[in-house]
Amino acid sequence: MPLKTVTVRATPAVLVFLSLSLMILYRAHTLPVQRLRTAVMDVTAPALSAVAAPIQSFVSNISGVASLQNLKAENVRLKADNARLQKWYEAALELKAENESFRQLLNVKADPAMSFVTARVVSDAGGAFVKSVLLPVGARDHVQMDSAVMSGQGLIGRVVEVGAAASRVLLITDLNSDIPVIVQGTRIRAILAGENGDLMRLERLPPDSGMTVGTQVVTSGDGGQLPAGLPVGTIVSVSAKGVWVKPLSNLNRLVYVQVVNAALNPALATGDIAPASQSDGQ
Amino acid sequence: MDSEFRTQLLGTVGRWSLVLALVLALLLLSAVPFSITGFGDVRPFFALMAVYYWSILASAPPVGVFAFGLVLDLLSGYPPGMNALVLVAAQAMTAHQRKFLLGQSFLVIWAGFAVVAFCAGSVQWVLFSLLNLTVMAVLPVLIAVALSALMFPLCVLPLAAVYRVVADRPETP
Repeated sequence: MPLKTVTVRATPAVLVFLSLSLMILYRAHTLPVQRLRTAVMDVTAPALSAVAAPIQSFVSNISGVASLQNLKAENVRLKADNARLQKWYEAALELKAENESFRQLLNVKADPAMSFVTARVVSDAGGAFVKSVLLPVGARDHVQMDSAVMSGQGLIGRVVEVGAAASRVLLITDLNSDIPVIVQGTRIRAILAGENGDLMRLERLPPDSGMTVGTQVVTSGDGGQLPAGLPVGTIVSVSAKGVWVKPLSNLNRLVYVQVVNAALNPALATGDIAPASQSDGQ
Repeated sequence: MDSEFRTQLLGTVGRWSLVLALVLALLLLSAVPFSITGFGDVRPFFALMAVYYWSILASAPPVGVFAFGLVLDLLSGYPPGMNALVLVAAQAMTAHQRKFLLGQSFLVIWAGFAVVAFCAGSVQWVLFSLLNLTVMAVLPVLIAVALSALMFPLCVLPLAAVYRVVADRPETP
């Protein structure tokens, strides 16, 4: 058999073997893919950004036409919502003033200020197996590794790859996402694990923790990666199979999101915390 | 440079630009966020449709298909090699049956794609389950396979049009 024929026939087998090797090396964390991936992200993000906007507005226009019939009912509902929220707004202002005066009385050190970067989601190519999105903002927009990412309603994920002009966000529903959380009103700490579906599972709960449906779950700030107190989801099911949490945001229809750049104490992430000096707290 | 050669060169550049534009369009279509179903971000295997259809019409270079799959992996957050493996395997599988498929009606080619899409979904499901050491959900994969099979005739129209221009042949199956 001529050499050329052998080469042509063997090429697909060699490429399949190469693909398998790449996957195994990547899984063993021995392959420096990160830099290559961020380079591809940086190159493609502007093109995706240009294409994403018209496609997203086209899709939302189609669903807008469908919802025109419900416009009147929605208007009535929104007016009622507005009246209700106005009362909450006034209550929030009162509580804020009260909170500030208590903080001053107790000499509490406020949490470090947070800054936000708002961006449009330009890609969610993961499909059925990987839950992640691409943002056209990166290191030059001060996006940092492990930053929390929020939509209007709550936490949607954290930054896992940062390029110069683009970054990748691992969504809280991804199989590889584990978020330290606190169940509101109980002070119980747990890990919120993604399951690649619409719901997440609360893990490492103490026995007989007595979870109730409807309770909200917020970030605990443990580990120093995410700021504490960010709303994540609501408990929707408590059974023998586990406690299930639904994200507050609709992760299938993300358009604009905010990257939260909290000025965290880097010592928290490494666990290298020096003993407090005598002057502290005096 | 004589005018005939120049016309030929411009024609070749134009044809390859068209192929490149379609490859880029496929990459964008695979990556841009949109939800066409109530099942979240599950979407058809657009790249697989192109690789399958063009492998029947002409012999696509396996190294090019591998490179395209690798870029798709890097862009989508997949482990590198996942899409590359599936696309190269699909191309080899289709090329093996090329002589048979070329003489068949569109219905047979369509059914062939459904089989290839099912195999591709199954391979990805097995590989992801092994890499994550867990059993991945089956339903989203089946939905992606069904969507791919349903949308194949629609997506073939631009693929056939580009092939007709590039290969300068008026007829495609």
